Amino acid sequence: MRTLFRLSVLTLSAALLAACGGESGGDAQEVILYTARHYDSDELINRRFEEETGIAVRSISADSDLLIERIRADGARSPADVVMTVDAGRLYRAEQAGLFQPVQSDILDSRIPASLRHPDGLWFGFSRRARVFVYAKDRVQPGELGGYETLADPALRGRVCVRSSGVIYNISLLAALIDRWGPDRAQDWADGVVANFARIPSGADMDQILAVRAGECDVALVNHYYFARLIASDPTITDTVAIHWPEAGGGVHVNISGAGVAAGAPHPEAAVRYLEFLASDEAQRMVAETNGEYPVEADVEYDNPIIAEFGTFEADPLNVSVLGENQAEAQRMFDRAGWP
Amino acid sequence: MALIAPAPRLRRGFRFSADPAPLGALAALVCILPILALVALAATGGGDTLRHLAETRLLAYLRNSAALAILVAIGVSLLGVPTAWLTARYRFPGRGVFVWALALPLAAPTYVLAYAWASLVNAGGPLYGLLPPLRGVAGAAFIFSIALYPYVYLLARQAFEGGAAHALDAARTLGAGPWRAFWRVGLPLARPALAAGMALAIMETLADYGAVEYLGAPTFTTGIVRAWISLGDPAGAARLAVILLLATLLALGVERRARGAGRVADPRGRARPQERQPLAPHFAVLAVAGCAAPILIGLLIPAARLIWLAMETPPVRPVLPAFLNTAGLSLAAALIAAALGLGAATAALSGGKLARAAARLAQLGYAIPGAVAAIGVLALLGGLQRVLDASLAGFAPLVAGGGLVALVFAYQSRFAAAAIGPSESALLRVTPSLEAAARTLGETRMGVLRRVHLPLAAGGVATAALIVFVEVMKELPATMILRPLDFETLAVVAHNYAADERLGQAARPSLLLIALGLPAMIAVSRLVSGGRKSPAR
Repeated sequence: MRTLFRLSVLTLSAALLAACGGESGGDAQEVILYTARHYDSDELINRRFEEETGIAVRSISADSDLLIERIRADGARSPADVVMTVDAGRLYRAEQAGLFQPVQSDILDSRIPASLRHPDGLWFGFSRRARVFVYAKDRVQPGELGGYETLADPALRGRVCVRSSGVIYNISLLAALIDRWGPDRAQDWADGVVANFARIPSGADMDQILAVRAGECDVALVNHYYFARLIASDPTITDTVAIHWPEAGGGVHVNISGAGVAAGAPHPEAAVRYLEFLASDEAQRMVAETNGEYPVEADVEYDNPIIAEFGTFEADPLNVSVLGENQAEAQRMFDRAGWP
Repeated sequence: MALIAPAPRLRRGFRFSADPAPLGALAALVCILPILALVALAATGGGDTLRHLAETRLLAYLRNSAALAILVAIGVSLLGVPTAWLTARYRFPGRGVFVWALALPLAAPTYVLAYAWASLVNAGGPLYGLLPPLRGVAGAAFIFSIALYPYVYLLARQAFEGGAAHALDAARTLGAGPWRAFWRVGLPLARPALAAGMALAIMETLADYGAVEYLGAPTFTTGIVRAWISLGDPAGAARLAVILLLATLLALGVERRARGAGRVADPRGRARPQERQPLAPHFAVLAVAGCAAPILIGLLIPAARLIWLAMETPPVRPVLPAFLNTAGLSLAAALIAAALGLGAATAALSGGKLARAAARLAQLGYAIPGAVAAIGVLALLGGLQRVLDASLAGFAPLVAGGGLVALVFAYQSRFAAAAIGPSESALLRVTPSLEAAARTLGETRMGVLRRVHLPLAAGGVATAALIVFVEVMKELPATMILRPLDFETLAVVAHNYAADERLGQAARPSLLLIALGLPAMIAVSRLVSGGRKSPAR
């Protein structure tokens, strides 16, 4: 008991000295990655990069907004070299907080389309994810579904499954629709979708697809790669559920996962090399093959039969930085519409 | 409340010249700093977010929060009180196992229970259609009730076995039947314990974000997190968090007052070995069923589902490093919390007004949504860094951002409530007369603390440490953002996979998390009923 007490007093003093900690910058042969992506495919890409260049990748993964707050709080002392998020809206927020520095790289500029990167090279998109419809084959007629406006069509009353409005995929979609239609029509659309809810928004993307299969609703709004993943685990789902590209009236909404070099990066050259590796054929192929996302570089060949089965689609040419600019307005619209 | 009167110093001990009371008060004050940083952040923003919310979703958030709080209060009482009563007062087959097993669901993180149950009963699950789907306020209330009822169970059982035992025996001797004894004597005497357990459960429910978001029951905390994440207004989020904090403070104050007014008898009565009554066979069957049900739905069924999923899914990454990190981190945080909780509890009981206020306020960390609390820590460390950089220039140490020390600090600030409460109630068992006697016999103030308080309070302090261990192990947002590079914990790995909708991959780390929490919860349960050494008056 006596030792326990002494130990306690010691540890207490340690707690009071809590201020002295942290990490140092490290040597030149590494790149420090702050990422909101935590896929196993990213792990593979990092290992390949290390083999290729001899530069070690050290990383911390956390939800985008927490990452941004951490780098912001670290200020000039931040050890981050590369900041990577899974949504253009978050890239925009990081950009607004001054977390990126401009990068001039011919490789990045030539391989990544202009609509998927920042005009001054603050950030670059490395994979594309499409927000699509899935529908019940037996309960929805082929002619019933068009562009995104269909979700607000009174014909779908009580037949639509969606996630909550806090999820960034929905916010970015509405942000794009605000740009496409203007605020009034976008608000009407949100109101219309709310009127069409089959049930209260809950669950994640895969849950929406499973709900369609189970008959709780006829149409759901999801990211394409979740459907691809469900097919991979249970191919019979395509007997009853199919994908629809809502490309009419402006193209399919595409979001990106992207990264930029941090403003105070201790290893800027290594950081640029890392970004260039992400844009390489090899890394782009790995993203498509292991995670089901689309490459940003259109000519990259990859082997993913499920994605190939989905066919091609016409994407919304909107520059993705708009998604960030309209993000707060989109959430306010959802709130006004009563989309939980 | 100052049960231990500050006595004049007669002789100073040499071995420990530091009195823990001021140190404890100081530690409690340090714990409040992140909350103060939040208040400062709240003061910087405009009122736009609040106005927007008031015009749109606020009512729905408040309605959901209130409904959830009421339903969870009912749920944890229905699960916690009868089981505590049965295991404390009666003998029936399996009682020896139920006594500790009933505390186990607390070892499972709420979000893991939500994902596991949802994957069973919602569309695509094997029990789909057989049971109602898990969603909305009702679904969330179910999950929080099964996850958090052990708080009520543990505290109520302690009350039934402790001070209430004599009164109950007396009541039975005077001819009261078992039902009457329960309603008229047992329940009123257990009221403070019940209130404390419900308060913990409700605070945790209202500060949760992950489960309510997933299940579609947005609460006030949803509004806070969205104000920050979607609306990009951290100051507005901090403002809302401070409102939630004030509401909690008010509720806790009311609870404390009610507890004081409702005191029917001295709850610190002498405990003695229990004479548990045997139950008639048909009642014993009911008792076994009633005690088995919460364990089944709160732990065994979700764990079985996770095991099933884990077996279907080949592992991608080794989980051992994350397991070791989690165990080490939780252990360090728990030891520090025990010391800090003991110090703060001593300060609260024997110190002045400031010490008492600090100890009370430090407990508020529990009521803040984890993500917002993490921002408070980040803001605090960032501010400290700027001050250091300005005054020391190149010689300033690096304090901003993450690191293990920052992380342990964040845990202390967040879980001080769990650390201080049990230590304080344990110290309350040391009566003034006992301390006075020791002092009269020539023991120093520190000596009294070491040789009288500590042995008597050891059970309570150990309980505090173990509860902090389990809480830290499950904690997510602060861990995620403050941990060092390349440092994974089980909660982070499980969350990352679950957030990416790979429940199969999330199953293995989730199960390890539960496995790590089980021995801690078993020890807590044993300590709560076994460690009652009571002093003679």
